[in-house]
Amino acid sequence: MLEVNISGLNLKSPFILASGILGVSFSSMKKLMDAGFGAITTKSIGPKPRIGYKNPSIIEIFPGTFLNSVGLGNPGIDYFISEIKEIKANNIPLIVSVFGDTNELYLEVALKAQEAGADAIEINISCPHAEVSSIGINKDLTFDLTKLLKEKLSIPLFVKLNPNVTDICEIALAAQEGGADAVIAINTLAAMLIDINTMRPILSHGSGGLSGRAIHPIAVKKVYDLYKILNIPIIGCGGISNWEDAVEFFLAGATSLQIGTSLYQGFDIVKKINKGIREYLELNNFKNISEIKGISHEFKTQKVPDF
Amino acid sequence: MIKTVKIKRIIGECAGVKTISFKLGNNIIPKPGQFVMIWVPGVDEIPMSISDYDESGNWSITVKDVGECTNALLNLNVGDFIGIRGPLGTHFKIPPKSSKYIFLIGGGIGMAPLKFLSLQLKESGFTFQIIEGVKNKDELIYLDELLNIKNQNSEFFCSTDDGTYGQKGLATELFEEKISEIKLEDMKNTIVYTCGPEIMIYHLFQLCKKYGIQLFASLERIMRCGCGLCGLCTIDPVGILVCKDGPIFNLEQLNEMDDFGKYKRDFTGKKINI
Repeated sequence: MLEVNISGLNLKSPFILASGILGVSFSSMKKLMDAGFGAITTKSIGPKPRIGYKNPSIIEIFPGTFLNSVGLGNPGIDYFISEIKEIKANNIPLIVSVFGDTNELYLEVALKAQEAGADAIEINISCPHAEVSSIGINKDLTFDLTKLLKEKLSIPLFVKLNPNVTDICEIALAAQEGGADAVIAINTLAAMLIDINTMRPILSHGSGGLSGRAIHPIAVKKVYDLYKILNIPIIGCGGISNWEDAVEFFLAGATSLQIGTSLYQGFDIVKKINKGIREYLELNNFKNISEIKGISHEFKTQKVPDF
Repeated sequence: MIKTVKIKRIIGECAGVKTISFKLGNNIIPKPGQFVMIWVPGVDEIPMSISDYDESGNWSITVKDVGECTNALLNLNVGDFIGIRGPLGTHFKIPPKSSKYIFLIGGGIGMAPLKFLSLQLKESGFTFQIIEGVKNKDELIYLDELLNIKNQNSEFFCSTDDGTYGQKGLATELFEEKISEIKLEDMKNTIVYTCGPEIMIYHLFQLCKKYGIQLFASLERIMRCGCGLCGLCTIDPVGILVCKDGPIFNLEQLNEMDDFGKYKRDFTGKKINI
């Protein structure tokens, strides 16, 4: 009922662990799969080990809404290869999120990940607190990078979109044209928090990316807009903390979803979301999650009137 | 949620160690063993055990100079702002009334959460034995308070590596002596609470496992979020998170951790030796 096929990957559940959350060790990934994820996305992995920004780098700012600027801290692909092999030895569908300083370095990391056994590559061009976001705000750069990787990789290629742009659709179309097999919408929204007592920004980097509850309606709108123009699948991401949030994304046009921030509540949240969706589908006489994809588009919405 | 508060009081404990108190109010009551993320504006944010709490809402942490952030924290004055997130994590469970022997074993600055626990145990009417292990007498902390506890039926022992105070040797050796006096059938009603260097905790773990003694230990790992998201404090192969599933673990949990006593992760996520 919840099985999905996304660009050739057969997943037992449409929920994928979002990049940047708990994605460094096999042991937590295994627990997450047991909790009901269909696939795991790793933390973004680069060509070299990277410490990232100092703390505070992840803080809850309202209940369920977080601000982070980790700055792509990661152990580097050469170290991470053994982790990928261990994950694959346990048959966990694995998407490796990659980044690099240049297109060639993106490719180098992606090829090493593919070689180690990754099932798909997600390119991070959208982290709002690192230099890679400069690619994700430009359709030509997005096209070039996607095309280069698509030509050299044999596994599916996903592009995680930056919502901090004027028109997310033109970037998504560039990714599609470059050969992306799916897009993820959305990465975190650029945001900041200033402490009024010390009068300074709280995150060590100054600003960061907003995730969690507050961004859910924004992400739904992006998926809704993208569904109208794209031919490739959309993986929805942003603030899913219960099954109702997830259903909204499917109705807006998502094929699959990523969950990250809400895991602060514990891994059981994934079980609850799977259960809630199953009950919703049964109640409404649907046999598979794919049947509700994009249904909200069938309803006419009021056009801008003539004033 | 992060809250900035003014430092209300600073007490020197020994050279390079101070207890810093701040008023956070008593809407949330912290429990012994829990921690807070302490932000030193402009420097860093680190996890720290809560070492005291009073009914008027004053919280304390005890800080040892071990790095850039603790150093900056020790240089702050009364009235300076620090940021607080917490209380976070699990806490030391109050022992069952059937407990016959209760030990609180702290290595150096690891005494911090145990001091808080001792106050609560005292209030609940338990008698217990505290063992504080340090390198030499200049590193002893909470001496007056712990000697005061000694006057109220509980006991307080010290070990120093160089023998300059209390018994010469390690806290684990002192503990081994103490349990040699316990009858075998009472071992299961003996309970140990500990915090300190992981190598010390590991030795205690082996002793407790051997004798069937209950153990609750506080572990420490590098962390960013403190709430189960960054994954840096993951312990393999069980995927346990120190920030959320811990920092307090019992013997059965420790027994499943291959990393325990051996590895932690650095800020890149890479495993390194402890």
